[in-house]
Amino acid sequence: MNENQPLPKLELTDADIYEAMKAVPGYLDITPGDFKEVYQLAFKQALQRLRGSVPARDIMTKEVIAVYRDTPLAEVAERMGRGGISGVPVLDADQKVVGVISEKDFLMHMGLEKSQNFMVLVANCLKTKKCLALPIRAQIAEGVMSAPAVTVREETPLAEVAQILTAHSINRAPVTDAQGRMVGIISRGDIVRATTHRTE
Amino acid sequence: MLRNYFHKMRGTTQSPPRVSFREIAWSWLGAFLGIAAVAWSDSFFLQGTDLVLIIGSFGASAVLIFGAIKSPLAQPRNLLGGHIISGLIGVAIYQIFSPYLWLAAALAVATAIAVMHATKTLHPPGGATALIAVIGGPKIHHLGFLYAFMPAGSGALIMLAVALLVNNLARERRYPEFWW
Repeated sequence: MNENQPLPKLELTDADIYEAMKAVPGYLDITPGDFKEVYQLAFKQALQRLRGSVPARDIMTKEVIAVYRDTPLAEVAERMGRGGISGVPVLDADQKVVGVISEKDFLMHMGLEKSQNFMVLVANCLKTKKCLALPIRAQIAEGVMSAPAVTVREETPLAEVAQILTAHSINRAPVTDAQGRMVGIISRGDIVRATTHRTE
Repeated sequence: MLRNYFHKMRGTTQSPPRVSFREIAWSWLGAFLGIAAVAWSDSFFLQGTDLVLIIGSFGASAVLIFGAIKSPLAQPRNLLGGHIISGLIGVAIYQIFSPYLWLAAALAVATAIAVMHATKTLHPPGGATALIAVIGGPKIHHLGFLYAFMPAGSGALIMLAVALLVNNLARERRYPEFWW
């Protein structure tokens, strides 16, 4: 999403342009080289326009694995594991997003410091034989979630979604309608997929 | 840095393709009629007067408005604006700097280009119109600021009329690209 990212290879040669110019009757007051430069800049401009105008709605994932405030953590972990995902939105009874639980939230409630990672947990486990998840066994989603959740609206443009994810150092954001109800989720992967598809 | 400087003189691309024979024929016909209209009007209406209608820069305008009709430089805004603005600048600079004709000549052309750029009326023959205002001799100098409108403006207007009539006769031609 970075503006300086290299342009996709434009296989337009001076010879192509020369042939095209021959097909236009009349004298064109431009060299093939200048035409190519204008073309490439226009192409880049068009890409930026598309990125700016594609709304989150168009590229979000609609089937979202989510949990509720009172879902027991064991079940939250199970769903995340089964879905192969590293984070889930937490909803209230009205389907409004009240928070997000990520792997990191679990780790932090299992006695890890912010800077530590999963391997610290593994190491503790192997050394002490007393396994780690016990302190949170009885809890529910609400107890460990990060709240408020960073969400985006359905109509938020792609470029802005990317900025929000980057600014908050997060990998995904639930997408909500005007009432705050969840309609989907958008991840870095969705953005990468949408942009590569478009520039191919 | 010096290397880059000289490297830039090598050029980077190629000359545009040659136009078709049909295109060449239309350019010839248009230019013939355009210059004929101006030259004939000059000799028919202005013979024996102090006025003139034709100046050298119209030869250059003909190249553009009949030979490169798609060029932004050849559009009505540029044709009319370029000649009139350059004419005004040429006369003004001649009147201020006339003791130093070489300086007036250089200032007139350079300033005409700058003002045509700024007003989006760049028309290469305008440079000639500004230069002629300085080096055109007593008959031109005598016209004063009228020079910008007659011959410069009116000659350009006649050429424009011919360009509109003739260029659009050709099946594959269309003129202008834009008016203003």
